[in-house]
Amino acid sequence: MEKIILEHFQNRKQEKETIPKNIPVIVSHTVVHKFFLEVYSLTIFTFRFFKEVFVPPYELNELLKQSFLIGYKSLPLVAVTSFIIGLVLTVQSRPTLEKFGAESLLPMMVAISIIREIGPVITALIFAGKVGSGIGAELASMNVTEQIDAMQVSHTNPFNYLVVTRVLSATIMLPLLVVFSDAVGLFGSYVAVNLKGNVSATIFFSQIFQSLEFKDVFPAFIKTFFFGFTIGLIGCYKGYNSNKGTEGVGKAANSAVVFASLMVFIIDMIAVQITSLLQN
Amino acid sequence: MTTETSTRETKDDDKQINSVVVEMQHLKKSFGDKEVLLDINLVMNKGENLVILGKSGTGKSVLIKCIVGLMEIDYGKLLLFGQDISNLKANKLTELHRKIGFLFQSGALYDSMTVRENLEFPLKRQVTTISKAEMNALVKESLENVGLSETIDMMPSELSGGMRKRLGLARTLILKPEIMLYDEPSTGLDPITSKEISSLILEVQKKYHTSSIIITHDRECAKLTANRIIVIKDGVCAAEGSYNDLENSEDPWVRSFFE
Repeated sequence: MEKIILEHFQNRKQEKETIPKNIPVIVSHTVVHKFFLEVYSLTIFTFRFFKEVFVPPYELNELLKQSFLIGYKSLPLVAVTSFIIGLVLTVQSRPTLEKFGAESLLPMMVAISIIREIGPVITALIFAGKVGSGIGAELASMNVTEQIDAMQVSHTNPFNYLVVTRVLSATIMLPLLVVFSDAVGLFGSYVAVNLKGNVSATIFFSQIFQSLEFKDVFPAFIKTFFFGFTIGLIGCYKGYNSNKGTEGVGKAANSAVVFASLMVFIIDMIAVQITSLLQN
Repeated sequence: MTTETSTRETKDDDKQINSVVVEMQHLKKSFGDKEVLLDINLVMNKGENLVILGKSGTGKSVLIKCIVGLMEIDYGKLLLFGQDISNLKANKLTELHRKIGFLFQSGALYDSMTVRENLEFPLKRQVTTISKAEMNALVKESLENVGLSETIDMMPSELSGGMRKRLGLARTLILKPEIMLYDEPSTGLDPITSKEISSLILEVQKKYHTSSIIITHDRECAKLTANRIIVIKDGVCAAEGSYNDLENSEDPWVRSFFE
């Protein structure tokens, strides 16, 4: 019996050795194969999310806890970044508008830029960096230390408990963070306007609200749900399916940020196209 | 006379069938090209401690992960409590798996939760009708069983390796499983703590009448806990017997585990 097993493994080894290595065609084939395998696997993961989201038990406590961690704990970072972005955008735009004698349009221009594009995208990127990587690393380390397996043997659905709650939290909290970020960004702009002038808050903000239309606010707000969903889902996907070992944790966190950030831009591009199509 | 004898034989057979809690027949499991388990045949009887020995990478952990449902078998039969799992519906299989507890090598404590929350976690999800007072009592009892009552409000990161293992055991035992699967319970522990864990395994067997499969490399652990030992080599059960039988085996490879 032992002899047969030994021969079996030796044959396998020989088979492997006869496969040629480092041929570009094979490499590119492997890369394409891996890419489609990843897309397939992510699609299955997404379908599973939509299936499990309606399956009880509903982990409301965990959802609230994650919303607190994902949303509330991100407030300081979002506030500082948005304030700086609003301030810098105003300071940088002012000279150009002054050249055309259109300084009075500054609040309107900054408001539309922040609410339509900069606020949602910058907040989503920060969110991907902080929350996406956090979720990826957390789930990957749970995977390494067999905590996900432990949940399964405790007859808890780990997908429901870990993935569904985090994806829902990210989907709900990002739009709220974007609203907060827009408000702080506009405040930053107001501060910047007052660095070189004296404009009252009432005039500044009333000019902003007069210039904004429903089509500026609504599509920008809707796309943030997609941003949040994608960031949460990718973070969970990378963490949940990470390789065992500490290397897997780093890889999961890193690839979650990279992939989620890329997806934010792709979704933004699609959203802009859809919005302009609907408006025409 | 003949009828009486045959009835007695049938009853004896039934008893034997009922007493077998885990049975594996020609079980195979591979990962891609790597064949880990080639032909595993084993039987575990009710109330016994079955120790599985073998070199690292021989698929001992894979074997018990198949039993608890963390991995699926590729080929062969796996019978739990006399029922072939391949013929069972998902809910029936879940019911059987509920009777099995698993102690992970690392303890696998949820590090975002306190000790109390770790113990309450499986209870809240499995015993839906339990009151807060009952849950508190069960948590306290489980912690007392493993001698860790004082750690109730601590975080897992504040505990030592041995404490984490004992806590993992408490979390598993809180659901009163009929079968316990221990994945290297004494690995990474000092000899004294290792002995404590082995004694705890024996206490669990006596107190809860559990049947256990213990995966270990630790000779002392095997000596203390085993009613029967199986040695796995190259994906098959290479030897079987009591500690004394295998210690004096004619096969030098088997004997090497006990030197």
